[in-house]
Amino acid sequence: MHRRLASALSLVALACALGGPSHAADPSAAIVSKPCAGCHGIDGASKGDAPIIAGLSAPYLASTMRAYKNEQRYATIMNRIAKGYDDAQLDAMAGYFSSQSWPNTKQDIDAGQATKGQALHASKGCLGCHGPQGVSMMPTAPRLAGQYAGFLEQQMKDYRDPGKPIPPAAMVMRSMLSGLNDADIAALAAFYASQNP
Amino acid sequence: MSMNRRSFLQLAAGSAALSVCGFPSLVSAGDKVSIVVIGGGYGGATAARYLLDYLPGASVTLVEKNKDYYSCPFSNEVLGGEKSMDDIKFGYDGLAAKGVKVVIDEVTGVDMDGKKVSTANSGKIPYDYLVVSPGISFRDNIEGYDAEVFPHAWKAGPQTVLLRKKLEAMEDGGVVMLAAPPNPFRCPPGPYERAAQIAHYLKHHKPKSKLIIMDSKDKFSKQGLFMEGYKKHYDGIVEWRSAANDGKVLAVNADSGELVTEFDEHKPAVANVIPAQKAGVLASSLGLTDDSGWCPVDQRTFESSVHSDVYVIGDACIAGAMPKSGYSANSQGKVCAAAIAAKVKGYEMPNPSYLNTCYSLITPEHGISVAAVYRLQDGTIAGVKGAGGLSPLNASDETRKAEAMYARSWFRNITTDLFG
Ligand SMILES: Cc1cc2nc3c(=O)[nH]c(=O)nc-3n(C[C@H](O)[C@H](O)[C@H](O)COP(=O)(O)OP(=O)(O)OC[C@H]3O[C@@H](n4cnc5c(N)ncnc54)[C@H](O)[C@@H]3O)c2cc1C
Ligand code: HEC
Ligand code: HEC
Repeated sequence: MHRRLASALSLVALACALGGPSHAADPSAAIVSKPCAGCHGIDGASKGDAPIIAGLSAPYLASTMRAYKNEQRYATIMNRIAKGYDDAQLDAMAGYFSSQSWPNTKQDIDAGQATKGQALHASKGCLGCHGPQGVSMMPTAPRLAGQYAGFLEQQMKDYRDPGKPIPPAAMVMRSMLSGLNDADIAALAAFYASQNP
Repeated sequence: MSMNRRSFLQLAAGSAALSVCGFPSLVSAGDKVSIVVIGGGYGGATAARYLLDYLPGASVTLVEKNKDYYSCPFSNEVLGGEKSMDDIKFGYDGLAAKGVKVVIDEVTGVDMDGKKVSTANSGKIPYDYLVVSPGISFRDNIEGYDAEVFPHAWKAGPQTVLLRKKLEAMEDGGVVMLAAPPNPFRCPPGPYERAAQIAHYLKHHKPKSKLIIMDSKDKFSKQGLFMEGYKKHYDGIVEWRSAANDGKVLAVNADSGELVTEFDEHKPAVANVIPAQKAGVLASSLGLTDDSGWCPVDQRTFESSVHSDVYVIGDACIAGAMPKSGYSANSQGKVCAAAIAAKVKGYEMPNPSYLNTCYSLITPEHGISVAAVYRLQDGTIAGVKGAGGLSPLNASDETRKAEAMYARSWFRNITTDLFG
């Protein structure tokens, strides 16, 4: 068989072997992405409190992984992990996880907290970028609706803390969150976590 | 040569529109293959699941001797009283529902030439490829060792219950001794997390008691972080005695309950003695081990260096820089499944990538971790330079609490990955 044809054939076989459509079918993307499941759930569909990463947009995933890698985003562990991958691998993972679907979650959320959070979401102007229910309108902002409360709360505290690194894209939130106390942040997290649009 | 590359690719694109992987003649090879996985722990359960993912038509049989799997990860929290045995108990219904043929039976031997696995009660099971993930067994490095008197609790299950009962029965003021094993062993931070968890129990229930770690080593995993945590939460409760400081337990006396070191004898109220380790008994009886007691493999695919078409993953295998951990076993199971899929379908395996993280809980609100990302370098699994490493020393309470939250999250997610 012609060598080029042989390699084309094996490429297709290979692409088909390791998963479903699009990026998920690229075996080198799968092999680098599958191990993340230990912390982020199967194909990114976390059971909490580590964040769900399935179905986040590729541009956001690619840029936030680079922010972790370059110590521009505070993390307990992702900074240490992201440094293990080169740009091509980070892009492959961004493609892989963006082609998975977001799993709906049902978290145990206090309704009063969620109502308080909803009011803050509106009054503080978060909905301008994150939509009325936390389904963000721009591809560079991640979905908040249904994300885990524990992660969201920690994330907002990290954004608010002037001693912690923050990506330029999130700078706007530092000033918006600086006037909020821990209880407000917990309420916002409860609101987002309770949404399931 | 009747078809050039472009027309082939057009053909590929055309059929992709119908069904992404609609190449029956190319992929049907995977439909007839039989793969047997021995051992339904962190390595084996992962391999079984991902083999079916990658080779949906294959026959995948998992042979595991116990109906219930008790996870070692979070078994220290059972000793500490924060988790119950039910919290660490898992079954195989999830894997069966995905199409894995689950056989609860003990493997008694393998006919490597005839490619058949023998079981105690379920006859012989033929295979094309065999994956072995039997975990660990113990060496005879401690004279007079008796696991009923000095439970190791290094395989979760009845041993965990036994040690917990001994701790509960102990009078306030009693001394607990934890004899930590020499390298290499399953879960390098495990003994030190256990010390913290037992100390957590003592602090709240037996405040006059003490725990002494009797070590066969002079340093250990995440040492700075553990010592910092002991000082912060268990000052005066936990003491670490290194090998150089006569910490190494050489013998035990089951009648008197004594531990013997080079220069001394001790009679603790409760002794948790963890012997040195080697690959699971099955691995050596199948001839898969080398002089080190562990199984050499091709670290790209996990195929045994001794027998072809036999793969060894998890604690039992020699995996370069990867520690013997549940996360390592899980990551290896995925690489091994991808390698077998590549072999079955006749293409070259993509470059593997491996991950490990070990979380440890010092208290329910104080978590620490060590992480690494690995790749293949000159045939050996090596950590990617500049990546991974430890949680920082002197971190805030808020950070430690977040890590404790993510440690529990890890357990939920990885056990879902294993058992569905
Ligand atoms: C106290 C403790 C805490 C730990 N904490 C962590 C942690 O926080 N994070 C982490 O990543 N790792 C942790 N580990 C390590 C982890 O438990 C092991 O690395 C992991 O279980 C290895 O997986 P495995 O598949 O090699 O072996 P195992 O999980 O032990 O599975 C082996 C299986 O094979 C079966 N088997 C053996 N022989 C036969 C036979 N002949 N026939 C049929 N079945 C057979 C056994 O019954 C068993 O179910 C911890 C370990 C301990 C002891
Ligand atoms: C040891 C656990 C662990 C592993 C392994 C891990 N992550 Fe994470 N990840 C986390 C945690 C915890 C966070 C929250 C930030 C932090 O504290 O590190 C996070 C955050 C993220 C985020 C940000 C999500 C958001 O909504 O902004 C992305 C993206 C991500 N991880 C991707 C990955 C990918 C891709 C991998 C595999 C290469 C991976 N992670 C492996 C634990 C892990
Ligand atoms: C100007 C647009 C904008 C506004 C207004 C805004 N955000 Fe954001 N938000 C973003 C972007 C962009 C990101 C991603 C930042 C990055 O790349 O790290 C983000 C990220 C987040 C995240 C992290 C989610 C995750 O998965 O990592 C949270 C939580 C969040 N925003 C909450 C809020 C809250 C609460 C407010 C109101 C107080 C708010 N945002 C206002 C644009 C905005």
